[in-house]
Amino acid sequence: MIGTAHPKVRTDRPRGGVLYTNAGNTNAPKALITAEYSGVKLELAKDFQLEVSNYTPEFLKMSPIGMVPVLKTPDGAIFDSNTIARYVAKLKADSPLYGSSLIEYAHIEQWMDFSATEIEAGLGRWIYTARFGFGRTGFNALMCVFATKVLKISLDALNTHLANNTYLVGRSVTLADIVITCDLCWGYSCIMTKAFTSEFPHVERYFWTMMNQPNFKKVIGEVKQVGVVPAVQSQSEGSSQGAGQSQGDETKGGKVRGSSSQG
Amino acid sequence: MALVLYTNAGNTNAFKALITAEYSGVKLELAKDFQPRVSNNTPEFLKMSPLGRVPVLETPDGAIFESNAIARYVANLKADNPLYGSSLIEYARIEQWMGFASAEIYAGLVRWLSALRMFPGIDNDPTKELAIVLLKRSLDALNTHLANNTYLVGHSVTLADVVMTCSLCRGYSRIMTKAFTSDFPHVERYFWTMVNQPNVKKVIGKVKQVKALPAVQSQRKAPAKEQAKPKEVKPKEVKKEAPPPKAAEAVEEEAPKPKPKNPLDLLPPSKMILDEWKRLYSNTKTNFREVAIKGFWDMYDPEGYSLWFCEYKYNEENTVSFVTMNKVGGFLQRMNLARKYAFGKMLVIGQNPPFKVKGLWLFRGQEIPRLVIDECYDMELYEWTKVDISDEVQKERVNAMIEDQEPFEGEPLLDAKCFK
Repeated sequence: MIGTAHPKVRTDRPRGGVLYTNAGNTNAPKALITAEYSGVKLELAKDFQLEVSNYTPEFLKMSPIGMVPVLKTPDGAIFDSNTIARYVAKLKADSPLYGSSLIEYAHIEQWMDFSATEIEAGLGRWIYTARFGFGRTGFNALMCVFATKVLKISLDALNTHLANNTYLVGRSVTLADIVITCDLCWGYSCIMTKAFTSEFPHVERYFWTMMNQPNFKKVIGEVKQVGVVPAVQSQSEGSSQGAGQSQGDETKGGKVRGSSSQG
Repeated sequence: MALVLYTNAGNTNAFKALITAEYSGVKLELAKDFQPRVSNNTPEFLKMSPLGRVPVLETPDGAIFESNAIARYVANLKADNPLYGSSLIEYARIEQWMGFASAEIYAGLVRWLSALRMFPGIDNDPTKELAIVLLKRSLDALNTHLANNTYLVGHSVTLADVVMTCSLCRGYSRIMTKAFTSDFPHVERYFWTMVNQPNVKKVIGKVKQVKALPAVQSQRKAPAKEQAKPKEVKPKEVKKEAPPPKAAEAVEEEAPKPKPKNPLDLLPPSKMILDEWKRLYSNTKTNFREVAIKGFWDMYDPEGYSLWFCEYKYNEENTVSFVTMNKVGGFLQRMNLARKYAFGKMLVIGQNPPFKVKGLWLFRGQEIPRLVIDECYDMELYEWTKVDISDEVQKERVNAMIEDQEPFEGEPLLDAKCFK
């Protein structure tokens, strides 16, 4: 399970706002880690219950489809975890998280988008077909195979880039590293076994280095890579028969791409 | 040095950068002679965009892929660009709606289009239904926001509007009919206002809303020989194409291609007549082994036909008997298109779950017919091995499967289905 360690914040930091998230949400660390790097204080909303708190009328005013996390700032609320991270980063002037030139900024944005459309969406597809499917058992298996293949292509591209680059952009941690590490973390904790990730050695190096950076470790804590791949769920036949015990929250907070609101 | 944008014509993701350039007073050059699937697969291109994604912007300082990132770069070329709002919270809201446009609207449209291609002519398909439900949920949220807001953020066009309009544009021109979009009147107002803004119209031109859902040939209704075969129909094709067109940045969909003659009909004639075997199989009620099995080997032509064993790859799933049998039944239904060229026996084996599904198939030709691999997605779920008829053990296994021998390999048969 993703560590639920909360960052210990100093009271003299600029206040970023209140973060609404469930414990174990793998998107919330994007904002929290960014806050650590940026010297910003984020408060965590109390008593937040996934699938309950994010569908109240008040919450839906902040986040129209119930997406979690949400940051309530002094000037209004924002949803979408990558956006929240950007906002928090910008609270610090000339943040190194944004690179030091226009092209670096563009590349940071490029890898953030890559992470969303390739890694997060790819993992979502895989986890969804393995766990919930489309109501057709054989088809789930097929889509699962397809999802795995597509994700491997994406990870391969990432692996190639990281063969010659310690960080995604430039020579130090940027917003792109924070976002992609959190997205990878979701995969590592619930569906990508060692056998799977060992095909991408540069991604392995990168991921474990990032996870052990002090600001990351402070927020996420210790993460155990999943041991056994969960078997493909047969929707018509009840609960999963796989030997794999998922160690992560595969619904990634309140936002499950490509599914109705599965808990 | 110029900024060069690599894209195919009509790419709605590329429009984001071009429209942003119009608003920002930035000049973008379009790369010449860009051919989708060719130009974006060269080693030089892949250095710029590792997955061959389009569009790509080449700048003096390096190349950028991901259409939203490109748009941001272009916007940032102009100091204090109003496209980015005038405060930190506006900036955040702009990013928020850009994310929503990509992840909810654009991705939702792609999901729907993919589902349509995979299951043409099938109503109430759960994949399609789900895609539509999710898209409607997102459009509903957008509609509510636009009820009280002329633009997504603030009181003038921002990068969020540029991205959202381009994302919607793909939907309007491909798959969202008037009947569909009229459920979202504020989105309608917004979209048509945006596409008529001079800087937008200059790039996109006139938008024609699609009149009906894309016509994709149903493989069930047409006879096997004559049907038009759109390239995108099969899941296998979708698998190969999906990385670029998943965000459809590489290629806009192609028109369905008319199918060439079935190569199996062009094989040299065989002394074995499949229908005769099927008649012999069906009509032999007694002495099956002496009459039918012997008759089979007498008429079998190993040059004109081939035998294959198949085994379901995910037998651990088969825990409920009738579901397992339905699975096999579904497979046989989908094999209908190959009826002229195939005969098969599928056995469901075992006393207790998980049940094993194994089969024997006779196909015209020496390979599994291309037609079957392309049109029947179940093929991927089975392990296929060609039978070596010089091996007596394998030959006897063929016999056992044709005659539903029990016990089969030591186990009782739950069911045996025949495809003929």
